[in-house]
Amino acid sequence: MSKDATKERGGRSAAEWTTFVASCVVLLAVVGLIVAQMFGTSSPPAPVAEVRLPYRVEAGSFHVSVEVRNLGDETAANVQVTATLEIDGETTTADQTIDFLAGDASQNLIFVFDDNPADGTLTVVVSSYSLP
Amino acid sequence: MRTTDVGPWQRELVEVVRAVSGGLLFGVPLLYTMEVWWIGSHTEPGQMLAVVAMSSVPVFLLNLTSGFRKRSNVRVRDALADTVETVAIGIVITAVVLVMLREITLDTPPVEALGKVLYEAIPFCMGVALATHLLRGGRTDADEASDSEPARVDSDSERLHATLADLGATAVGATFICLSIAPTDEVPMLASAMSPAWLLVVVAASLAASYAVVFVAGFSNQDARHAHEGVFQRPASETVACYLLSLFISAVLLWFFQRGLLPWNDGLARVIVLGFPATIGGAAGRLAI
Repeated sequence: MSKDATKERGGRSAAEWTTFVASCVVLLAVVGLIVAQMFGTSSPPAPVAEVRLPYRVEAGSFHVSVEVRNLGDETAANVQVTATLEIDGETTTADQTIDFLAGDASQNLIFVFDDNPADGTLTVVVSSYSLP
Repeated sequence: MRTTDVGPWQRELVEVVRAVSGGLLFGVPLLYTMEVWWIGSHTEPGQMLAVVAMSSVPVFLLNLTSGFRKRSNVRVRDALADTVETVAIGIVITAVVLVMLREITLDTPPVEALGKVLYEAIPFCMGVALATHLLRGGRTDADEASDSEPARVDSDSERLHATLADLGATAVGATFICLSIAPTDEVPMLASAMSPAWLLVVVAASLAASYAVVFVAGFSNQDARHAHEGVFQRPASETVACYLLSLFISAVLLWFFQRGLLPWNDGLARVIVLGFPATIGGAAGRLAI
């Protein structure tokens, strides 16, 4: 019986069985990951912002790197990050929005100030977010 | 490569390459849609299971009549086994392409990566399940035989005509796929996340995908293409020439939609990123003529 005849009658070759077994492993791994999430604990979103030093100076402006990380397991949407620089009673405010921040994910933002943040008080906070 | 002339392992490799090629032809446009990345990043586990289950149903139905394997007399249990393979191949190739596009990195949480892959994999799975019927390909040997009669190219003018037809089909296919991608923000977004080394990876992947679709996957007209001896019509030179043409089409479309080609390094990165779907569209165009 030729190989083609075997195939016509539905017999699978060793090569086809290898593909099938590898495919089953992939699908079982995917389903296993999903089921593990379903029965695992899940904490609500908790995005926090942290300033990364040192500041970078470009063309006379001070570039401040801020890492925003979601410490929760669920996704936060429309994460509003506000940076406030106060020097001698004068306040400069800037804000940025991150569309989606998945659980345990992080994103880097850059805030640009005309004055040196080291001369005053720089505060960076997550001011709001929504649940998708 | 005629699948009837080779051993079972090589034939299986060709069938898997055909599956991957079908997935790429069908699934690439959705890869460049940031809303799908976002939806995938906040999907509940129950929804993920539903996505896998619901995409398996049409894939099973397609595997009863089409699929990525060229065989007749498909029984239900064959279609079920093919469905498992189809979904797995769709998931793996989607994950690989998302890693190549830097949408999944080592910093991406596993849950987010899984959500992105599962949503993006839906059209890939459909493409895998439609692989033998894409672009006039057939499941049966009779279909294959009728599709693979080598074309006789005798005179220089006929060779030139065949070459021009290939280049024209590449341009049309690349334009057709990229018209809906070039104006979007996804291209500069993806390009900005790529280092020069990653751009080289994208170039290599584009060339490999183009070669696989046209010369390995066993779609229609493949043996005829191997037999051509036109100006660019040896497999390697045709692949490279059509890739360069796809890059040119990408550059023209980016300029046309005012997406910016300067400074040159940013422009080059955008052209290479858009060149990936352009190359796959160009390969589909060459198969269609």
